[in-house]
Formats: sequence, structure tokens, C-alpha cells
Amino acid sequence: MRIPILKLHDCLLVSIQWELDDQTALQFQEDLLHKIHETSARGVVIDFTSIDFIDSFIAKVLGDVISMSKLMGAKVVITGIQPAVAITLIELGIRLEDVLTALDLEKGLEKLQRELED
Amino acid sequence: MRKLIFNYVQTHKSEILNEWIGQMKQDADERAVYTMSAQMFKKTSSEFIELLISNFTETEQEFQSKLTGFAEKIVRLGWPLTVVTLGLRTFGQIVTEGMQEKEVVAQHNFIEFSVEFERWMFPLYNTIIDSYANTWERTVSLQKIALQELSAPLIPVFDKISVMPLVGTIDTERAKLIMENLLEGVVSHRSEVVLIDITGVPVVDTMVAHHIIQAADAVRLVGAKCMIVGIRPEIAQTIVTLGIDLNQVITTSTLKKGIEEALEMTERKIIEVEGE
Repeated sequence: MRIPILKLHDCLLVSIQWELDDQTALQFQEDLLHKIHETSARGVVIDFTSIDFIDSFIAKVLGDVISMSKLMGAKVVITGIQPAVAITLIELGIRLEDVLTALDLEKGLEKLQRELED
Repeated sequence: MRKLIFNYVQTHKSEILNEWIGQMKQDADERAVYTMSAQMFKKTSSEFIELLISNFTETEQEFQSKLTGFAEKIVRLGWPLTVVTLGLRTFGQIVTEGMQEKEVVAQHNFIEFSVEFERWMFPLYNTIIDSYANTWERTVSLQKIALQELSAPLIPVFDKISVMPLVGTIDTERAKLIMENLLEGVVSHRSEVVLIDITGVPVVDTMVAHHIIQAADAVRLVGAKCMIVGIRPEIAQTIVTLGIDLNQVITTSTLKKGIEEALEMTERKIIEVEGE
């Protein structure tokens, strides 16, 4: 199952709707990087609202995707992380330090626009 | 033998009771005897003796339930455990001495008597101590729940700004609760800035700081900003002396300053309205 990546002006929009398995996560990493390359997008919003469980491998892949996107010149905002997921990430020691976060998709897009303007 | 003891106690009930009350008044802790009116004391005492006697007449089960009921009652009355055990002991002594005096018990059957007597008294001790322990345990667990409820409230003070005032020592269990409440609250109130007020936290050691940093990180992950406010001079000193790095988090000395800063972050401010 592939995760759909939507283009919105100069941003990419990803909404993760179901629990990721390792294969899907790696596939997603590849797809997203290709898409950034293809569309030369300047920003990416990844929405996690429907995810309420995350394991260490997925968390690592996510961290990687974020730094890779950054290398390709796209700013990443992650949105809608559930409390339980946040606690798991912190307990796993994954702090996602330089990542922008927002409460929901709307605020995430606002934040990204503002970042891109500066 | 059991019958012998019972007959003795039954016939000399009032004597035993009077002597028992006399001795208890002499020996027991003042607060047990004098917090109650004399009448109440007498009533409870006679109930106590009555109960001890009913051990002979009733079935095991009935006696058990009656004993538990009585034990709960005296716990409620606030008799200290020492007084109750002293009471049992005094009662035992009075009966033994009385029976020796009346020569119901003599040298030849003393061993049989003491074995039987012991068998009679032991369940009493046991049940009474048990019900005291149960009551205490219940109180402790109730208090624990109450404490937990008071432990970590998140208060939305403005749109997008919430405050979590922390009072008292933070241990690992409480830190977990704080983290959960904080994150749930941030998501449900849609707060953009949360202020953790540690004015009421007496000691900030490495563990507490670690928990606070973790909470701040988690808040950042769900998409809000976290501020730590109410850092007293001595806390600032300990934090620096312990080498704790709080650079990731915004900190201010008072809640007031924190709120001002939080308003600034959400692009608002409080202005004074001009007088008429």
C-alpha cells in the first residue's frame, strides 16, 4: 500500500491514515524524495492525526525522511502528533529536534507559508 | 473447658465489665477514654464485652461478621489500636485472675485452660488488627486518588495559552501523569503555548529537570511551545550547579512575565483601556 502524496502549490501534502509497516515506511521515504525532486517543492506537511501508535523503526525512518527532505531544500512540518505518540517518541529518545510541528493541518500549512515567506 | 470459661464470664459479666472499665481508665491513653462521654464509653465497653461472650453462643460465621462490624465501629470512633489491644489484654487478665480466685481454674487444669483461652482470644486480636489495617489501607488509597486528582491540572487561561501549575514534589509516577495531562490538554484545548509553573516545586534535581525537559520536548512534538515559568533564584542556582541544560526551553522567573511572553508569541498583547 502506498501513501498518497498530494501537491498543493509549492508544497507537498502527506496524510498518513493507517499504521505504517516497515515496508510502507521505506517506500514512503523513497516516494517522497522522488516527488520533491520532481516537483521541486519547497515545503512538506506530514499529518499524523490518525496515527496513535508508532514503533522505533518507523520513528527512525521518519527522522531520516525529515533530514533527507531538508537536504533537498524542502522545509518539513509535522502535524497532529497524538499525545501517546509524542510520549513514545520521547521515551525512545527520538527528539526530532529541528523539526517544525503544529497542532493540526491548518496550522501546519500556515506555519509553513510563514516559514517560506521569510 | 470452653463451657467453663463461658459460664464464668456469663455469670460475672457485670463485675468483669466494671473492673475492666476501671482498669482501662487507669491504664489507657487519655485520648481514648476522655474524648468520649462516660456514657458512650460505658456503652461501647459493654458492647465489647457482650461481643466477646457471644463468641461462645453463636456460630463461627455470625461471630465473625459481628466482630468485623464492631471493629469497624471502634475504628470510626477513633480508638487507637493500642487501646483496643490493651483492652483485650486487660479483659483476658481479669477473666484469668477471676477464675483463679474463684478456684474454677487450679493447678491441675491450668494448661488446658490457657490453651483454650488462647484459642479463644487469638481470632479476636487477629480480626481487630485486620480491620484496622484495612481501614488504614482504604484511607491511604483514597488519599492517593485525591492527590492524583489534584496532581496536574491544565488550565486554559487565554485562547491558545494554557498554564499547568505544579505544586509539591515530583516523582516518576507523577511526572508521567503530568506529561499525559499536559499533552492531552494541549491537544484538546488547542493551545499553542503551555506554561509549566514550577513555583510550588520545592526541589528541582536532575530527575525532576529531566522529566520537565521530556515534557517540554513532547509538547513541541504535538505542535505547541512549552515555557517553564516560576524559576526561583535557588532553583536557578541548582539547575546551573547541576549542569542541567535548559537552553531548549524558554524560561522566565514569574508566571506574569511568562504570560506576557506567551501573548507576544501568539501575536497579542494586553493593553490598558484609557480612562473616561
